Amino acid sequence: MMKRVKTGVLGIILGLVLLTSLAASGQSATITFWAMPNAPDETHIPWIEQKAAEFQAKTGVKVNLEIVGWDVAWQRISTAIVTGEGVDVFQVGTTWNPQFAATGGLEEIDINEFGGKDAYIKANLESTTYKGKYYGVPWFAETRALFYNVDMFKKAGVQPPKTHDELYQVAEKLVATFGEGSAIALAGTNAWDLLHNWSIILWANGGSLLTKDNKMAMFNNEAGVKAMQWYVDLVRRGYASKACAEYNQPQADAAFINGNVAMCYMGPFNIAGIEQQNPGLNYSVVEPPAGPKGKASFSGGSNLVVLKASRNKKAAKEWIKFLLQYENMVEYTKNLTHMLPAQVEVFADPYYDSGVWKTFKTTLEYSTAYPPLAVWGDIETIVQDEFKNVLAEYVNGTYNDKTVEKHLNAAADRVNEALKKEK
Amino acid sequence: MGTLSKAKREKRAYWFILPAVLCMLFVHFIPIIWGAYISLLDLDVFTLAQWTSAPFVGLGNFIRIFSGQFAVGQKYLRSIYTVIVYGLICIPVGYVIGLAVALLLNRNFVGRTLVRGLILLPYITPDSVAFNVWRFIFQARIGLVNKYLLKLGLIKEPLIWLVGDRALTAVIVASVWKGWPFACLILLAGLQGIPSELYEAAKIDGASPWQQFTQVTLPLLRPVTKTLLMLNVIWNFHAFNQFYILLGGSPGDAHVPSTFIMQEAFSNLHYGLGSAMAVCLMIVILILIAIYMRFKKGGVSYETF
Repeated sequence: MMKRVKTGVLGIILGLVLLTSLAASGQSATITFWAMPNAPDETHIPWIEQKAAEFQAKTGVKVNLEIVGWDVAWQRISTAIVTGEGVDVFQVGTTWNPQFAATGGLEEIDINEFGGKDAYIKANLESTTYKGKYYGVPWFAETRALFYNVDMFKKAGVQPPKTHDELYQVAEKLVATFGEGSAIALAGTNAWDLLHNWSIILWANGGSLLTKDNKMAMFNNEAGVKAMQWYVDLVRRGYASKACAEYNQPQADAAFINGNVAMCYMGPFNIAGIEQQNPGLNYSVVEPPAGPKGKASFSGGSNLVVLKASRNKKAAKEWIKFLLQYENMVEYTKNLTHMLPAQVEVFADPYYDSGVWKTFKTTLEYSTAYPPLAVWGDIETIVQDEFKNVLAEYVNGTYNDKTVEKHLNAAADRVNEALKKEK
Repeated sequence: MGTLSKAKREKRAYWFILPAVLCMLFVHFIPIIWGAYISLLDLDVFTLAQWTSAPFVGLGNFIRIFSGQFAVGQKYLRSIYTVIVYGLICIPVGYVIGLAVALLLNRNFVGRTLVRGLILLPYITPDSVAFNVWRFIFQARIGLVNKYLLKLGLIKEPLIWLVGDRALTAVIVASVWKGWPFACLILLAGLQGIPSELYEAAKIDGASPWQQFTQVTLPLLRPVTKTLLMLNVIWNFHAFNQFYILLGGSPGDAHVPSTFIMQEAFSNLHYGLGSAMAVCLMIVILILIAIYMRFKKGGVSYETF
């Protein structure tokens, strides 16, 4: 009796396994797409779902959308790469793309299938590469510029600064009018993108993060030391609040958006935040002030990549092409995300020559991407760690002329050690 | 009905615990064994997608994490030092506060039950809520700590609490606040287990209240104290929530092993190194648990006096 029951159960299980595997093979017309919250959910999700419906009507492929927060995305993606499950096509930050490519978990992309090299903004295209091959397609771009509070500037009788020196002069007057810490808001030890903020200053000082061949750290040279001292001095001189030492980027942004602080380095995505939290704010945007060696900014944004283990790579690529179509890109950047398109053709839309967008467009033309390395994550962590130590020394009252140099040298040693692993 | 033989009953019991055992197996034991295996591999960003074929490096990862020559080693050792300092302050302070309040609550007064309930408030507040609130309290610009210190004239300008040397102080204050009610609860239970005859006898012998405390109360609290301290040591050693929530994912010198492992393994994708550190952490905790079990077995009660 018992035996019969057992065989019965076994039979049922076998049947189920067969059925599900059959169903799986017949379901090749479904792909899973992970996107980050690039716009508020209330507008973002309906838009992508509507596009997914259009895509399904055209191709018969169903797209399952999942919004994955930036805070968990790194984890989810590494898990997907290890297991080869869960997603077919997804968004990655530009600085993540080479690292995930190095894991061997991303599908190589034939860029000609997506309009060729010249169709994309150079820095963004570079961010999709690893060892000269492409592992993603640029989706949208962003860069950092200087936001300023027009009313506060008027009251203090100052013009937007064009150079680092001018920024100090302007800050001096702003502080005289509005009090200590009111000139500029900065991200501090809790910022995950501390490096982005500093590298803008570094490049404008003629510095570089790594040597040209990407084999050695270079940020600890004179330009690097000067750039970091300039950054820390914004706090030491009282232009930025001392509390900035513990800020994360949203806290710095909020100080500006609330109208308490006159300047902040921010990105186009912050415009949505201003519209939502303080629509009355009278602000404008100028290019990041130039350093002794000229203008510079950070190139960021997101790319779309395909999981190598995906069973629906063809459909996944079709979905990328669909999202990158001219009208879809204009709509997505203009109305939803307030990011910038990463496609040259889309950038020609007259909208990007209007108002603050012109500033971002100009800035993007000379902004720089990080070197596409597998160990980039290590490098970013190391430099940020030591930058945080510099800020901690400031907080502890042990900061002196040698502090920055000491920590940048320590960071350089560690970065050189990490670079040895780069194959 | 009810005529099952003993062997059969036992067999049935195994079936009942099977689901739990299976869950433990898949959720705990298999991952722990995998983790221990990964700690012997050079598993990082380059080998992530084909991680089963990551090069075997034996104890290489373990050597690195304990070597002061490597940044990872320095930081790991530093994180162990930090967690020890943290425990050495948090545990005794929490114990003393808990004991003092337990002694008060052991007396009869109106509203005693209410107060007993209220003191549990910090303990039952979820960590995420409590420590996020503490993060606000310690914030430099808008935090309550700076506000009152300024008002009392103890400081001249706002201090930055969550960065640098004061970061550990902030975490300790928040953790003591969160942890003492548990000590209080356990000690109160211990106090109530002490028969009142012992105090009567002591009084008849002419013992002062202080003598009663040192000669009767404290010795009879020894078993619960041991349990309590052991549990606290174990919990403190893998402290994570308080550090992660108050100070963020990479708090520099205020890293404790758990936060550092999280950063190394999951943010920097050094799974091999991260696993090695986790294995060491687990071994330490297992030793502590073994000691704890010994303590529990050899517990003393008033009957032995």
